[in-house]
Amino acid sequence: MKLSYNWIKEHVDISDSPETLAEKLTMTGSEVGSIEKVGDDTVMELEITSNRPDCLSMLGLSREAAAVSGADLNTPYATSCAPGKGAVSDMSVKCSIKAPELCPRYTARVIRGVTVGEVSAGISGRIGALGVRPVNNIVDVTNFCLFESGQPMHAFDLDKIKGGVVEVREAAKGEKIITIDGVERSLESGMLVIADKERPIAVAGIMGGKDTEVTSSTTNILLESAYFDPVSVRRTSRKLGLTTDSSYRFERGVDTSFVMPASERATSLIIREAGGKAGGLYDSGPYGSPPVEIHLDIGRASGILGISLDQEEVIKILKWLGMEVFSGEAGSVKVRVPSFRGDVSREIDLVEEIARIHGFGGIPDTVPRPAPWTPRKTRERKVLEKTKKILCSLGLSEIMTYSLISEEAARTFPGLCDEVVKIMNPLSAEHETLTPHLMDGMLKVISWNINRANKDLKLFEVGKKYSRVPGKAAFRESHMLAVGITGNVEKNWAEGEKQASLYSVKGVLERTAECLRTRFDIEPTDIEGFVNAAEISAHGVSAGFIGEVSPDKLEIYGISQKVFVSQVDLREVFSRAVLIGAYSPIPKFPFSTRDLSVLCDRSVTVSSIRAIADALGGDLLRKTDVVDMYEGKQIPPDKKSVTFSFTYGLLDRTLTDEEVEEAHSRIKEGLVSKLGVTFR
Amino acid sequence: MSVLDRIKEIDKEFEAEAGKDITAAGLDGMRVKFLGRKAELTGILRSVASLPADQKKDTGKAANMLQRKISERLEEMGKRLAEEKRRDRDEIDVTMPGIAASPGVPHPLTQVMDRINDIFVSMGFIIADGPEIETEFYNFEALNIPLDHPSRDAFDTFYIEGEHLLRSHTSNVQIHLMQNTRPPIQAIMPGRVYRPDAVDASHSFMFHQVEGLMVDKGIRFSDLKGTLSGFCGAMFGKDTKTRVRPHFFPFTEPSAEVDISCIICGGKGCRVCKSSGWLEIMGAGMVDPLVFEKVGYDAEKYTGFAFGMGVERIAMLLYGIEDIRFFYENDIRFLGQFK
Repeated sequence: MKLSYNWIKEHVDISDSPETLAEKLTMTGSEVGSIEKVGDDTVMELEITSNRPDCLSMLGLSREAAAVSGADLNTPYATSCAPGKGAVSDMSVKCSIKAPELCPRYTARVIRGVTVGEVSAGISGRIGALGVRPVNNIVDVTNFCLFESGQPMHAFDLDKIKGGVVEVREAAKGEKIITIDGVERSLESGMLVIADKERPIAVAGIMGGKDTEVTSSTTNILLESAYFDPVSVRRTSRKLGLTTDSSYRFERGVDTSFVMPASERATSLIIREAGGKAGGLYDSGPYGSPPVEIHLDIGRASGILGISLDQEEVIKILKWLGMEVFSGEAGSVKVRVPSFRGDVSREIDLVEEIARIHGFGGIPDTVPRPAPWTPRKTRERKVLEKTKKILCSLGLSEIMTYSLISEEAARTFPGLCDEVVKIMNPLSAEHETLTPHLMDGMLKVISWNINRANKDLKLFEVGKKYSRVPGKAAFRESHMLAVGITGNVEKNWAEGEKQASLYSVKGVLERTAECLRTRFDIEPTDIEGFVNAAEISAHGVSAGFIGEVSPDKLEIYGISQKVFVSQVDLREVFSRAVLIGAYSPIPKFPFSTRDLSVLCDRSVTVSSIRAIADALGGDLLRKTDVVDMYEGKQIPPDKKSVTFSFTYGLLDRTLTDEEVEEAHSRIKEGLVSKLGVTFR
Repeated sequence: MSVLDRIKEIDKEFEAEAGKDITAAGLDGMRVKFLGRKAELTGILRSVASLPADQKKDTGKAANMLQRKISERLEEMGKRLAEEKRRDRDEIDVTMPGIAASPGVPHPLTQVMDRINDIFVSMGFIIADGPEIETEFYNFEALNIPLDHPSRDAFDTFYIEGEHLLRSHTSNVQIHLMQNTRPPIQAIMPGRVYRPDAVDASHSFMFHQVEGLMVDKGIRFSDLKGTLSGFCGAMFGKDTKTRVRPHFFPFTEPSAEVDISCIICGGKGCRVCKSSGWLEIMGAGMVDPLVFEKVGYDAEKYTGFAFGMGVERIAMLLYGIEDIRFFYENDIRFLGQFK
């Protein structure tokens, strides 16, 4: 909304410079975005919030300027031009409202004998400063009045209205109209139109029709001034994709009591600018609620704001704002709200008005009452924050990817994709589905970086996956952790390069679980799109997977190097994390280690060997580490050699060599008899 | 030439040889040459007894002194040689790059959000979480944002089906929280929100917010101001000035926008603050009694304030990032800068 400084000076005795006024307006709720010199005028661009349609006119802004600067308002508004009132014989059209819900007030004034031409400099200068181009004296006057009073009006060429009828009605399905901008628009039932005997001649409150617009040959006009239902205008405007200065005001609500004064003002200006005589007037009659009266308890207002308000000041501020104030009991006032302030209907609304004119800057900064509890975070959040810290310390960087992806991308990994959730009004097919897994985001980021010559990547994301609860209008959002590792996990001049493997990803999960003092189990499984996939479960609950992305899937992302990934449900896998665990004493007596190289079939798993060692080692076996694994020429092709380091010990004494030897032999014998292994 | 003169000659010879760079083998040669059994000095010492009595004392003393000096000097040179040798063997180029694994980096948005969260947690706020897939009621109706009203303009929304939509702000969590608990409430709600804005340098259809809510008996607008200026000081530096301007939100009354003095230019006026010296950072206000009515709170008994801020905007201002898309491209050359 533009404000012309010279224009409002006609209505308010303001002594503030434009800059000072701009500052005051900004600090009272009408933010001034820019100030610009236009000729000898100064024009400000204001952000008027949607609750203040009364500020969408120079008159309204004059009231606001008067209120914020304490200046006097003089509104020399021509409310009476005394045209031949109610002379029905002059009408020549019969007006009627067929949809009173959508148009509670309609007025139409006949003006005869006008000469269409250029408007005077006084009017073209005013609207020109606001960036409105002159059209002709009739249209320019209606535009002038719109900006002056905030009441949109429309002038029809009276002689082009067919059948002597003007109806305010809902459009019939299939009806069309070519609006003044030359666009043919298809109307729907529910849209409000002004129509003559044959066709719509205006989309009510939005734009007039081309057929009946005022042209240079027009001599008789019908001037419309009305109140249209805000919701109806807004719906129609959005459906047609057509927003005008008129619709913008109607959808926010114009002043119900100003429909007629604005019409009279426009009529007198048209006669002044274009000659002619006022003819008949159709007026459906006054519309509007009785004035709102509010009881304001000044003590309560003070309590809400945190200041001590003075009754005198409150009354002064409210009067500046155009409110009628009646003293009530001590400490309270009764306020009658003017019709142009439709946004003020409750005590709290008055509190806001007082606060903003008093100035938010004049309200102190206070500290609220002590917090009702000691500062705290939920366990879940602490686990999340710690998990992220651990992952970063392990060299992984965090990524954040869009939750909205294409449906195709969602279905790239059918094994990870439950029933997808789709957006009805997506911006594009690229972002139409709520992501059912974090793999698409991860692979896109890996691809992006590899394409920019960064091929060694260790990444993680904590994000949600979204799914539909089957058969219900309900949805599930789960916090997931995704890990992606590719290229070299280590690379330096001294130690050379170390390629990522599935164990790199598994190691990250193991270290994380270790730091959180929890654990997970892992078992081979099959998931489409992954090689060497394994299922991760925690405490018996399936919680995710790890795997190598299969080459055909990598190809979709244009990746030609191996990528190892994992996706786990954070809540499941770390549900039993321990943040502060009890201390266990450091062993006082030395432990003994025994290494053992086990030669076994390739199909024998390390976990099965561990299980036997755990069972047979009993209390004496403290720890089993894998220190080497060998497959190759020195052993048969179907065999592997795994070297373990077993640690034996007790907390209350040192084990004798014989005891260690006995336990170690027991494990060896067990491995031979149960798994048929040999030792190297 | 007297023997005494000869001793001086030998001393000169020794000094000349000792002044040169010398190897371990050379050192052994010198030892033989000057101290060996067949060395001239050794011969002189052996023959001192047979010298005339007037020369015996001086010559003997000079030869002994020279022999001791040469012996000490050779020992010293030997030590130095050994030291040099050891150094040659162990010396490394300390200017070569060091070796240690690099830690990863939390995403800049996580870092900023954590900072915001921690400041409010220290003020006694708890952190509340809620769904992103929401219903019309929680996202709009309960917040006094009616259908077909211009106040919806700021909240274009992705719809899923029926009543369901993607939340356009985290205010839905405020409603859940108020429905599920009685006052006092003192919580922040960080999270992802969605609005169908075409993506460009300053718009994203997905972004992050942190909202806050405090409801109790006797909560005042001045408490809102104090809490938020306290936050801004902790977040942007203690010299940051805060100003609060009236604004409009359907769910608060009075409503406000919160500006901080420009953290780029310090309030003098620059490109980022559009010469105003101020940066808009938050929306806030006293909870509208209509919202309390929707959740069944007694608006006569309780008052409260709410506020909300965009995490991306704050991160962009803090780090001077000019394009919001950088956060979601995850280029490691970008991420790696936030160590």
